[in-house]
Amino acid sequence: MTATLPASRTAPPASPARPRKRGRAGTRTRTFYLFVGPWIAGFVLLTLFPLGYAFWMSLTNTDGLSPNWSYVGFDNYLKVFQDEQTIASLGRTGIFMLATVPTGVAAGLVMAVLLNRDFKGRAMFRALFYLPAVVPGVAAALTFKIIFDRNAGAANAVIGAAGGEPLSWLADPYVRFVLILMMLWGVGGSMIISLAALQDVPRELLEAAKVDGAGPAYSFFKITLPLLSPIIFFQVVTGVIGSLQIFVPSLLLAPVNGPAAVTAVPEGNYFFMVHVYAEYFAKSHFGYASALLWVLFLFVLLITGIVFKIGNKAVFYGGVDPTERKD
Amino acid sequence: MSQGKLTRRGLMRGTALGAAAAAGAGALSACAPSAGGGSGGKKTLTIMAPENEFSPEFLKTAEETLDVKIKRVEVDTTKLTAMLASGTAPDLVRGLGAVETPYVVARDLALPLDDYFASSTLLKEDDIDPINDVWRYDGSVQGQGPRYGLAKDYSQDAMFWYNTALFDAAGVEYPSETEPTTYDQWLETGKELTKKDGDTTTVYGLSAGGLGLFLGLMNMTASGGGSLFAEDLASLDFSSPEGQKALTWYLDYARAKVGFSPIEPNPDGWDWPPYQTGRLAMSWSGYWFGGAIAAEAELAETSRLAPAPTMGADRVSPCFGATGYWIPKDSKNHDEAWQLFEWFMGGDPAKERAAGGWGMPSLLSLREDLPLGTAAQEQALGAVEAEADYFKVLPFTPYVKVEALDSVLNQYLPDAIKDGAGAGELADKLNADMNELLAEGKELVK
Repeated sequence: MTATLPASRTAPPASPARPRKRGRAGTRTRTFYLFVGPWIAGFVLLTLFPLGYAFWMSLTNTDGLSPNWSYVGFDNYLKVFQDEQTIASLGRTGIFMLATVPTGVAAGLVMAVLLNRDFKGRAMFRALFYLPAVVPGVAAALTFKIIFDRNAGAANAVIGAAGGEPLSWLADPYVRFVLILMMLWGVGGSMIISLAALQDVPRELLEAAKVDGAGPAYSFFKITLPLLSPIIFFQVVTGVIGSLQIFVPSLLLAPVNGPAAVTAVPEGNYFFMVHVYAEYFAKSHFGYASALLWVLFLFVLLITGIVFKIGNKAVFYGGVDPTERKD
Repeated sequence: MSQGKLTRRGLMRGTALGAAAAAGAGALSACAPSAGGGSGGKKTLTIMAPENEFSPEFLKTAEETLDVKIKRVEVDTTKLTAMLASGTAPDLVRGLGAVETPYVVARDLALPLDDYFASSTLLKEDDIDPINDVWRYDGSVQGQGPRYGLAKDYSQDAMFWYNTALFDAAGVEYPSETEPTTYDQWLETGKELTKKDGDTTTVYGLSAGGLGLFLGLMNMTASGGGSLFAEDLASLDFSSPEGQKALTWYLDYARAKVGFSPIEPNPDGWDWPPYQTGRLAMSWSGYWFGGAIAAEAELAETSRLAPAPTMGADRVSPCFGATGYWIPKDSKNHDEAWQLFEWFMGGDPAKERAAGGWGMPSLLSLREDLPLGTAAQEQALGAVEAEADYFKVLPFTPYVKVEALDSVLNQYLPDAIKDGAGAGELADKLNADMNELLAEGKELVK
């Protein structure tokens, strides 16, 4: 090896070397495209095409089946901002996001911190707390419907035992709280991510801080939390996107079973995506519903952009204080 | 507004071709047209049906009997819309004849089946129960014109079941098995049967959910001598005296909390669980409910089926479902689809369904196969046969789906019930929104 390297440096550019380099580069290029090809095909067919198709539909008044549809320009987009149900459902979705994302991430983190300590039965508690996260949504919703049944549910039994009057939990205005509780019940998913991140916090840093006289709270807020911030940020971003698209749990808590549930979702759980589904498949407003989806897409982009902007000022990527980063 | 020159169907077809080229035809086999030879030269039929009607074992029998391959896809509006739009229509589709026939026919989606019926040996015109007229539509009137499908079985859905044991416990007189009660009397009976333990309800007297809010109100209005829809089915009016009377009744019912409503939701989603467990005395369900009752020995002895209540002088007992099957015009296998349809509706499967007691058979000749093993089954058959004289097709609009009208009702009803709004105020809101939907729908099929 050492003998050949200088030779290749000093030798004039030999013509056979070039094809070999191009050949290698070509192979690498081909390999690259071979690996990313399926993803690109999937992205084009399952993301770009549906987006384009939805945009095209949003410029029409089609109901998906009738032959006499027309182009309506951007009328559907104008209607979005005049439709009271749309505005209300968007506001409701925003409030739901603000109620569930911070609470869910914080609850997951607190549970992770507690379950990261050494105590007897730790593994069992970890499994128990994570268990709800793997229960299928349908089963969870049925369980919650039973617990919060007005006449036979455990929730009203507790209220009754305390001398209170039974509440119609599954109707407005209480059903929104049932949904929020149901979402927080699955907080084990967030807990497990935070727990994994906690176990990655270098022990020597915490020990050094302890030697320097730092208390547990100081160590947590000045060392652990900054090191966890990228993971917390990840949970916030995915939580925000997920909560803005909340849909199935609303239907599962509705008083009607099956797809027709979309026509009977109580107002408190009538979120933006529920409205989109109702416009599509109950009212057959394919054009308008497609416009709603584009608006949601842009809204999610906007909110995610804001979250990233804030995140850039708060997240310690690679343990580096964001205020000291030069980029 | 300009009329689109590029059709959705054309775009979908083009895209499907492009996609097939890009991803390989194999990957898109699920989207491939349902026509074509299956293995061994057999044709493959694609049917949109639930598994409880076309189980794997049943499909095997059907394939052997009819010498075809059958691929079942789950009933799904989204999938059906995509399949119809992309020219890959299924060969047989499940549907609710009473409310969907005008909708699919107005969009030129369904195949008229009169020629097939005329040559059928299993489905003879004089053997077909008149209730199947809900599957007929001549372009302006439902109940007339070509047949587009047939009910696999049916019920007169405004009738109601009651549990005599709960009547006895409350000391309330049973409803007549032959004469209809009035809606007002029905509500009063519901109030008498409702049992409370403090603030919780242990027995609901009456559940008026039926097959949906709109259909219930439509029936009440008809039995009061009116009609929600205008003659051309392009608009509706809840503010007529009959419409307002129906709304007033429902508001009174919901406020009385004698049964399930948008402010008193049923956590089970349907009437059977509370009825089965003795927590519901009267359920607004037709003959089909007897299929569940028959499996419960005690209930099978104490349950009875009563005639549809009436709001005025007119005795009307419609069918809101008539769940059955239709053949899409764009199916590539009309003849084979008809063979399956004919066998399913008139062959051994129809006899087996009739014997199950989950609905009245579409063929009059199959009534002899209905089960009569319990007191409830025997009484119910007598009640249905007496009720048949009062069947009437209540025409449904071709311009919107019933779900659209139900969603408007559910938008306004909860507040109206809670705020003590009058029927007139509610009617105005419903008229405005529903008529806008109807006008939009009419634009698309004119």
